[in-house]
Amino acid sequence: MITQITQIGNAGVRFCAHVGRAGIFLINTILQRPKWRQVWPLLSVQLYRIGILSLPIILLSALFIGMVVALQGFNTLQKFGAEQELGQLLALSIVRELGPVVTALLFAGLAGSALTAELGLMRATSQLSSLEMMAVNPLWRIVAPRLWAGFIALPLLTILFNVMAIYGGQLVGVDWLGVDDGSFWSNMQSAVSFHADILNGIFKSVVFGFVVTWIAVYQGFYSQPNARGISEATTKTVVYASLMVLALDFVLTAVMMGGW
Amino acid sequence: MKADAIITVDNMSFYREDRPIFNGVSMSIPRGKITAIMGPSGTGKTTLLKLIGAQLHPAAGSITVDGQNLHAMSQKALYHARRKMGILFQESGLFTDLDVFENVAFPLREHTQLPEDMIRDLVLMHLEAVGLRGAEKLDIAHLSGGMARRVAMARAIILGPEIMMYDEPFSGQDPIGRGVLLRLIKELNDALGLTSVIVSHDVQETAQLADYVLILFEGRILGAGTPAEILSSEKPEVRQFVRGLADGPVTFHFPARPIQEDLLE
Repeated sequence: MITQITQIGNAGVRFCAHVGRAGIFLINTILQRPKWRQVWPLLSVQLYRIGILSLPIILLSALFIGMVVALQGFNTLQKFGAEQELGQLLALSIVRELGPVVTALLFAGLAGSALTAELGLMRATSQLSSLEMMAVNPLWRIVAPRLWAGFIALPLLTILFNVMAIYGGQLVGVDWLGVDDGSFWSNMQSAVSFHADILNGIFKSVVFGFVVTWIAVYQGFYSQPNARGISEATTKTVVYASLMVLALDFVLTAVMMGGW
Repeated sequence: MKADAIITVDNMSFYREDRPIFNGVSMSIPRGKITAIMGPSGTGKTTLLKLIGAQLHPAAGSITVDGQNLHAMSQKALYHARRKMGILFQESGLFTDLDVFENVAFPLREHTQLPEDMIRDLVLMHLEAVGLRGAEKLDIAHLSGGMARRVAMARAIILGPEIMMYDEPFSGQDPIGRGVLLRLIKELNDALGLTSVIVSHDVQETAQLADYVLILFEGRILGAGTPAEILSSEKPEVRQFVRGLADGPVTFHFPARPIQEDLLE
């Protein structure tokens, strides 16, 4: 009994230590004084790698998700004779929930795992140690550009996801299933609020982008410098980031809907 | 020796998860000489280099570099002090997303405001010194192990350090590569007036190169002296190490209870 209590206590202490270290890591990264002439070159490379290279998968996923939502929505709405409301259903589901959440989950699997593996390998091949010995702070040179790039890229990817998913829904709903073009777009326009739906969805993606990238760079930076350590860190990134996205989605939705 | 020491380790202890790596070690590295730190694998030689560079912190005791305790400094002061030090890691530590030229130019771009043509001249001069001027455009992935170490060496010396540390520079090298690195370390040390610290377990190469040798074993200094003194030492551990004997105080078996007890359990 005492042993079990001790183990639970140890696990709690370890958890708190990890959270504390992750917090200090984040603060130290954000508060690094930038060298302004290097900011854009470093950031643009990471925006390309994290944002642009994730774009094809995000857009393709968005297209299929939009098509599936339209198909499922049409079948359900048809039972009530309300298929003309498809545009509204599609836009609200995508803009409020599916856009930010699915983009963040895909982003965690694509860019998040890649960031963790990259930083882990840099640790294992002494690149981070080399930087420190060359008097260059790796938090500023390596971690900060990746963190900011993820923070910037995810909201932009989410907007593009939303656009592509609605286009996919329009292809199925209007072009294939024959929902009236005017009803589809006008119902969508009247039902979707720019502040309550679109901006809230983008705000969610800002939070998700920050959390996913934070988890990814932290796990990579502190991974054990061997194959198993990097593999574990990559898995942790995807699992923790996905769980955090889903949990935060609930919290943010509850707050935005006035539940809290 | 202590009077002209550039690095002084005083009664230093260091632990990894409660396992002592060093327990009250003291040593000094003479200025302007090549000092080799030798010992069997796993005795903490690389850890010692990281402690000297203040990438790790001792649990007790002190390490001073040129009279400064790097472990008691602010980060800004530490980074300033590290500009006097260069290190060649075993894995070279080159940035895989940059080519050879950009790797060597990296410290100049980070710490100086030199114009591009001057950076180019300096990089080419340093690549010429390590025999790789023609390889400036190569990707790091296309370099052999020996070439990667020479590029890392050019990068490490480009800011003109006073102390150069080498972590296992000869491991995994073919005989020609060893010879090239051996000559390069010697020439750079003499030409630039460096203090060099070489961590290695390659006895013959290191003995040819070093002015002074320290033998590290089980977290303590077992022997110190000129290569000739170390090679002729009669201490059993030193003797076993420098002659490469399988039998001796350094055992083949990891500590365990008798095999009979395990088998009959």
